[in-house]
Amino acid sequence: MRNGTSLLAMRGIHKRFPGVHALKGVDLEVQAGEVHAVVGENGAGKSTLMHILAGVYRPDEGTIAFRGRSNVVIADEHSAQQLGIAIVFQERSLFGPLSVAENVFAGRQPVNRWGKIDRRALYDRTRVCLRRVALAVEPEVSVEHLSPAQQQLVEVAKALSVGARLIIFDEPTAALTETETSALFRVIAQLQSQGVGIIYISHRLEEIFQIADRVTVLKDGAGQGTRIVRETHPGELICRMVGRDLALLQRQSRGEPNTNPVRLEVAGLNDAEEFRGSRPYLQEISFQIRGGEILVLAGLAGAGRTELALSLFGVRPRASGEIRVDGRRVNIHSPAEAIEAGLGYAPEDRKDSGLFLDRSIAQNVVAARLNDFGAWWFKDRQGETVTEEFRRKLRVACTNVNQPVQELSGGNQQKIVLARWLLVDPKVLIVDEPTRGIDVGAKAEVHSVLRELASRGTAVIVISSDLPEVLAVADRVLVLCDGRIVGELKGDEASEEKVMRCATISR
Amino acid sequence: MTEPRPSPVTAGTIQTAAASRPSRRRVWSRELALALLTLSIILVFSILFPVSFRSTANFSAILRNLAFEGILAIGMMIMMVGGVFDLSVGAMASLAGVITGWLMKVAGVPVPLAVIGGLAAAAFGGFLNGFIVAKVRVNALITTLGTMGVFQGLALLIGGPGITFLPDSFTRFGQAEHLGLQAPVWFMIGLALAAHYALAHTRFFRQYYYIGSNAKAAHLSGLHVERLQIISFTLMGLIAGLAGIIYSSRIATASSTVGVGAELQAITAVILGGASLTGGKGTIWGAMIGVFFMALMKNVLIISRVSSEWQGIILGAVLVLAVALDSVMNRKKL
Repeated sequence: MRNGTSLLAMRGIHKRFPGVHALKGVDLEVQAGEVHAVVGENGAGKSTLMHILAGVYRPDEGTIAFRGRSNVVIADEHSAQQLGIAIVFQERSLFGPLSVAENVFAGRQPVNRWGKIDRRALYDRTRVCLRRVALAVEPEVSVEHLSPAQQQLVEVAKALSVGARLIIFDEPTAALTETETSALFRVIAQLQSQGVGIIYISHRLEEIFQIADRVTVLKDGAGQGTRIVRETHPGELICRMVGRDLALLQRQSRGEPNTNPVRLEVAGLNDAEEFRGSRPYLQEISFQIRGGEILVLAGLAGAGRTELALSLFGVRPRASGEIRVDGRRVNIHSPAEAIEAGLGYAPEDRKDSGLFLDRSIAQNVVAARLNDFGAWWFKDRQGETVTEEFRRKLRVACTNVNQPVQELSGGNQQKIVLARWLLVDPKVLIVDEPTRGIDVGAKAEVHSVLRELASRGTAVIVISSDLPEVLAVADRVLVLCDGRIVGELKGDEASEEKVMRCATISR
Repeated sequence: MTEPRPSPVTAGTIQTAAASRPSRRRVWSRELALALLTLSIILVFSILFPVSFRSTANFSAILRNLAFEGILAIGMMIMMVGGVFDLSVGAMASLAGVITGWLMKVAGVPVPLAVIGGLAAAAFGGFLNGFIVAKVRVNALITTLGTMGVFQGLALLIGGPGITFLPDSFTRFGQAEHLGLQAPVWFMIGLALAAHYALAHTRFFRQYYYIGSNAKAAHLSGLHVERLQIISFTLMGLIAGLAGIIYSSRIATASSTVGVGAELQAITAVILGGASLTGGKGTIWGAMIGVFFMALMKNVLIISRVSSEWQGIILGAVLVLAVALDSVMNRKKL
């Protein structure tokens, strides 16, 4: 589809943040009428590169040419818009209660001589824009009444209304159903035929092979080359995305068969009806885990791993499914019942839902075990003594256990969350992204804590998007995609390629 | 945002130092600051107005006047520790008083039963607030703003402007005096001691600090957040009912408008005393100092003949100043 005229050419782009060299001389060339995919793992530099195009960051080195003008400076979001570059963000940036028309022409509504908004002109122009993206809604409708897919199209319409020549889609299908996805693809094809250039960012490789003309791979902030999609295959892309040295994290699994009794058994778990139509929708989840085993749930963002954890822990309602702990059937409808049944869950977002930031370390550690410290005269001292022990064992760097946890570093905060569950000593512990945002040293410490916990007979379920981590800690890997289990790999047989292939291709 | 990881060596030394002498809590707090400010005001005005201010009668009057709001503030502190607040408490106090008065004067119910009836109504009103907030998930501000109107309207419907000449067997309690202090003051002190014990030392009330600090994390730690919220609203209703009934016992009249504005006075006092609108912070002792400080300010402003317009301006400015100071201090820390 591309017609050979270069629309955008980024050359040798460097971007450094304090302590991080985020982009190391990246080249990216997009032609008018082309769909150009950019792929790479989390943290590969895709977002940074797109933020440079959107005017959020300025590159430290390198040049940008756009629409025949060389050395373009994109100083801020406004100048990006004036040049004709628009981003359709993952988290949509619309004004929910306002109408479609108000959103499309936000801040640029046509006005009459007195400065009053000319409704008729506003709605007429909006209809023209909506037609271009094949969105059949009335301009007066509030955006919050639209589906996620429709909202996304409103964003595209907004981009077109400012005369965008380059539109960046950042994971546009993450929240869409399959029908909505193909509708979006038709719109993208139409934009292509109008000569608009598209940068398409997605974790789902099969989509790239469906709609993209070329694909550029990023890895650790460096470009791994651009390929014509028709001349490559998923295996090659995955290889370029992940090929890194694994020496950093030692593989723990020795591949010995685990003969311990089954600790947790899940059979035929399905999400409640209210989630039908949203993604992910958990379907027919069945698995089991033995004591002493570390099972990793792998998959892309939005595959349903956290949802599965919340479902087991009684937060997310289930339509059906049997949960057995130590062979005994349990009925879980709330976290309190889950803990009673022998489950523990350390959530993904420590600050949002894991920690009591303004409370002391000791108070955070005892939070799930208040019953042990006396009903009529709460034994704070005893809680501090217990916490003191964990502090030594987990090597938490703090001044004392009465320090508020918000004063600790991310790695130490994570250890406090783990300490809370070590104190509860559940039969099954689920930890969600236990090392996100913490440094390598603390990472290894967290891994060894999990391994020690398993060696004492606990069944440990780890949710992780960090492939080296997946391979390092897993005795077994379950891969999820779109709310289903799509693959199972033994820890010693798993490789980054195999996991990625499972997570991206087997739809 | 977070502090850099100390090197292993320094971390080790800090740990041993801390282990040998664990520092319990920060010494400096809003409560202490306010207590010192209160003391210095007492000192200054004792010197400036040795006769009118520094008299037993004046202090007895200050306490008598603060008892009503003081009782409300105790309940309000428990609520705000848990991260919610209740605007309907003033109207609830009026309503409980009026229902009690109506039961004994109009319906002829014996005094103890009438009191129980008034308390039950108030507790039920509180439960209703809690149910709407926790289960239906309507914001606490909106819920209690609405029920404030409802309770106030009901109080006027039942009691008209007020029910006067309540029986002696009822007013005897509220008008009794011991050691120069009236019964409502003693009642407030007793309730404050009980609430202090509960909030500071019992496991049950400890849970409110957790849900106020982070309700999501509390839920995931197995705390019954919804149940706890309903209980705290119900308790608040009960306490508001007590305040209203004791007050009507003292003045021998169940007034339908005694509680107008009291909710804001109570919230102001509680915030001055160290509570935070986002929850997780505060002590009963702080609430008491807050209430006493407000009453003292009003008293010294009257004694120094500041006009009533200026009293509002000064008290309002003090509140904003106190909270602004706190917010600036907290920002520096992070």
